[in-house]
Amino acid sequence: MDFDRAAAHPSSSNLLAELRLVHLADSALPIGAVAHSFGLESLVSEGLLTVSALPDFFRGYLEEAGAMEASFCGEAFRLGAAGEEIFSNDKSPEWWGKKWVEINGRLSALKPARESRAGSAVLGKNFLAAVMALGDFPALRAALSATRESLDPKGSAIHHATAFGLAAGVLGLSEDRAVLAYLHQSVASLVSACQRLLPLGQSEATRILWNLKPTVIEAAARGAARDDGDACCFMPLLDWGAMEHTALRTRLFVS
Amino acid sequence: MSASAATERKALAGAHRPSSLEASLTLDFARDESSGRTVLAASTQEPPLRVVRAFDLEDGSALAHLHNVSGGLLGGDHLALRVRVGPGSSAQLTTTGATRIYRPREESVGVTQTNEIQIAENALLEYVPDAIIPFAGARFSQRTAIHLAAGAGLFWWEILAPGREAHGEVFEYECVEMVTDVVAAERTIAAERVRLEPQKYALESVARLGPYRYWTTFYICRVGLGADAWLAAEQQLRDVAGKLVRPGEVLWGMSTLMAHGLVVRGLARHGRDVQEGLHAMWRASKLLLYGREAVQPRKVN
Repeated sequence: MDFDRAAAHPSSSNLLAELRLVHLADSALPIGAVAHSFGLESLVSEGLLTVSALPDFFRGYLEEAGAMEASFCGEAFRLGAAGEEIFSNDKSPEWWGKKWVEINGRLSALKPARESRAGSAVLGKNFLAAVMALGDFPALRAALSATRESLDPKGSAIHHATAFGLAAGVLGLSEDRAVLAYLHQSVASLVSACQRLLPLGQSEATRILWNLKPTVIEAAARGAARDDGDACCFMPLLDWGAMEHTALRTRLFVS
Repeated sequence: MSASAATERKALAGAHRPSSLEASLTLDFARDESSGRTVLAASTQEPPLRVVRAFDLEDGSALAHLHNVSGGLLGGDHLALRVRVGPGSSAQLTTTGATRIYRPREESVGVTQTNEIQIAENALLEYVPDAIIPFAGARFSQRTAIHLAAGAGLFWWEILAPGREAHGEVFEYECVEMVTDVVAAERTIAAERVRLEPQKYALESVARLGPYRYWTTFYICRVGLGADAWLAAEQQLRDVAGKLVRPGEVLWGMSTLMAHGLVVRGLARHGRDVQEGLHAMWRASKLLLYGREAVQPRKVN
């Protein structure tokens, strides 16, 4: 059957896209993700987060923050997929740059804790720089220019979720897979942080992450169902943890 | 008796309540240049929403109590609050009691409330209401948009109770959705999109409220103050909150916003701890930002 043959022998371009996505979502990509717990360190410090609570916590994390970030990742993906041909001399159409800045501005406004907000922005900027070092991408340069030229360049940020989505769109990857990959690497990074904060062994960490995959898929679907204007997130305990992280006496993490 | 007065009297008496209501309350506060005091310059009111009058506060502000004469919010009710605080004026809004959200009929869409708030140049609004109590089965959606002009100030809090605890109702509501945008100088500096569905997603999860039952969010803004000033304010409030925090009972956290303000988040097992903390931080931040005392609102029925 042609279908079976195609499935058994995917085109080299599909394989290349999958490999690139795996690479972008790899924890080894040097963007500084290992330095951030996004408030988990405070929760552990207060005894609010224990090893036994981790599966439930990460499920809730994906249902809330995961779905919200999925929505923004998807929105940025579609902007990136608008096509590099609309750019010339690294200048984007005005609407494109404004939309890019607006998406990131909205995500910034939804992150109440300044350390986490700044942490996401550092990862986003580093991610974009890492991808830009791999090839010639006028759209990514245009995104960076739009942020720098925005009304408030100091206050404007490029978040990790949006940078990932944008790059995936520019690279012509699949939106669904890109959002899934982003969510997976995001929660994997936090599980890894918990291995440094808690007596969480490698096997248990692997099992937690393995069992979270259906929830990752659900979070991506929820994110796709709402546009970024209505993406919801209710994580007040983690918000508290992120806010109070600045006051911890000893800290392993930057956020 | 005029037709409109008769309608209002019936609403007040509770003799007749339509199955769903569309009501709005518009309040315009302005500074009276001769006295320097703030007055309620204009208002339009549709029952059951009511403001009887504005009271003078000792600092020249005007205090108004938002009153729902029907006693609570029923499914299908749509309420709209519009507040304009004119240049240089200073207003305080509170409620006469908790906002009760009742269980709607099966076919009803739930309660929706919209709040449109405009705070003009160098004006100040202090919105210090009682808690929202969603009853078992309640569905509630609130959208709030706050626009701050140059030099405008804001103290705005919301408190969400777990339900009618005294009746054994904790997280038995169906859905509470709260959408909030705070815009300063045409830039959204804070946004919330929360959707609580306790029957689907456990609020007791450590990913959400954990062991706590009450949740509060408190925005403190003054447009034009620099980032360093806000960082200093954040630390000062942290010092105040440090005396109030009791792990397992009440937690307070605060952080500067993208610009022009900071946000305080509180979680507590008991409502009294929320009120105590909010009032302490309001007092501290008003003194810090305005050099004057926060005037605690007198409650009227």
